[in-house]
Amino acid sequence: MIDQTLSVVPPVAATLSEVAVSCKGVTKRYGELAAVDDVSFSLRAGTVTGYLGPNGAGKTTTLRLLLGLAEPTAGEALVFGRRYRELEQPIRKVGAVLESNDFHPARSGRDHLRMLALAAGLPLGRVEEVLELVELRDAAKRRVRTYSLGMRQRLGLAAALLGDPQLLILDEPANGLDPAGVRWLRTFLQQFAGEGRTVLVSSHLLAEVAQTVDHVVIIDHGRLLARGRLDELINNGQSLEDVYLELTGAEIS
Amino acid sequence: MIGQLRSELLKQRSTETTLYLFLAMFGLVALAVTMHVVALGADDLSSRTRQLEVFQVGSRAGMLFAGLAGALAITAELRYGTIRPTFLVTPRRGPVLAAKLAIGVLVGLAFGLIAEALMAGDAVVAFTARGIDNQLTGGDYLQLLTGGAAAAALWAVAGVGVGALVRNQVAALVGLCAWMFVVESTSESFVPGFGRLLPGSAGLALAGNSDELSAAVAALLLVLYAAALAAVGWRATLHSDIA
Repeated sequence: MIDQTLSVVPPVAATLSEVAVSCKGVTKRYGELAAVDDVSFSLRAGTVTGYLGPNGAGKTTTLRLLLGLAEPTAGEALVFGRRYRELEQPIRKVGAVLESNDFHPARSGRDHLRMLALAAGLPLGRVEEVLELVELRDAAKRRVRTYSLGMRQRLGLAAALLGDPQLLILDEPANGLDPAGVRWLRTFLQQFAGEGRTVLVSSHLLAEVAQTVDHVVIIDHGRLLARGRLDELINNGQSLEDVYLELTGAEIS
Repeated sequence: MIGQLRSELLKQRSTETTLYLFLAMFGLVALAVTMHVVALGADDLSSRTRQLEVFQVGSRAGMLFAGLAGALAITAELRYGTIRPTFLVTPRRGPVLAAKLAIGVLVGLAFGLIAEALMAGDAVVAFTARGIDNQLTGGDYLQLLTGGAAAAALWAVAGVGVGALVRNQVAALVGLCAWMFVVESTSESFVPGFGRLLPGSAGLALAGNSDELSAAVAALLLVLYAAALAAVGWRATLHSDIA
């Protein structure tokens, strides 16, 4: 295993409040298979991190563990120093989109957001704000089954933004987006991060990631291969793709 | 918790699923009662007991569809993935389940009342048309409506538990239908001493459609079934991994 574990958190000890995400020895086993195997990394608030790895590397599982949808077999997956389930009003701190199509097809986009806002105790006016933000106001009345993939991605993002979170966790958000959608997402993420907020985005679209993120974490077969600043990882003239393929053994998955 | 209840209510109102369930129940009750009243001989329908048995269709339909609505409240979220955003908003999960149970009780009461009222209205029209003397008293109707609504509400609670436990939507819905139409009726026919203790038969006793059990025993049994299934489903949901 290549030892390329550059620290995302600078040695100047960051206080706990400055760490948005921390995984400490996180392991998730399904029977014999370790989907995530002793993964440790932490992300400082204000960074935009790409979480990279081949299909089935354990990216989505890690994100589910961070978000309390599954429990780690061992280790700790924390957001803002606490388990997600222990956060008061978690969606005011963390927004997440794991699947691009987590909607009831017969429900309107607006009602999808309203049911979440009600459960979160947020004012319904916030629903109109996020609809405006993701440019879905005109389609808000329509049932989700009439939405294009790009519209569904944006509706998912709108749900993640309801609580005006400090941390955004997105799983493969650019999958299936057309070029205009990809650009829209990139601009959005840069703006979000520009406000000093934190983004963790999993992807295997390396060219896109290289344009958006400042840090990367790379895993394969559930194991951490590398973590660090993007510019340090690719400092000897290599592209992110070169580094990634070298680390992951360039197998075709 | 008010927010959770309003959220759950909106989930139910914002798709047509509940409406379709209601229409299916409406059609089933109308069809069944018409067939019974038309096909059975006038002598067969002359006694109060036989007339109450005809009214069983309404009670059964109310319970079954309330159970289906309860199961759908959770399996639809699993099927369409809305369980993920739902649990991201409420990661401790308990309040989500509590809201589903509470709204399930309301929906169940509505289904039970509507099924019994439809049944009663339909049967009265058919009895009159055939010149059959209606033997049912005001007390009978009152028990049909209140007991039938209570039985349906408890089936809805049990349905939420079944949905949470089974998770697969088709399996949960088919399972509930099979339970009502195959397991219950087979047991009633072949092992009546045992069959009368099952949740469907207990519901019929609670609504006054059968006198196999006293209403009090039937109510107690149904409460136990509903509480046990809800508790098992609750436990399964609280710590299960969401894919």
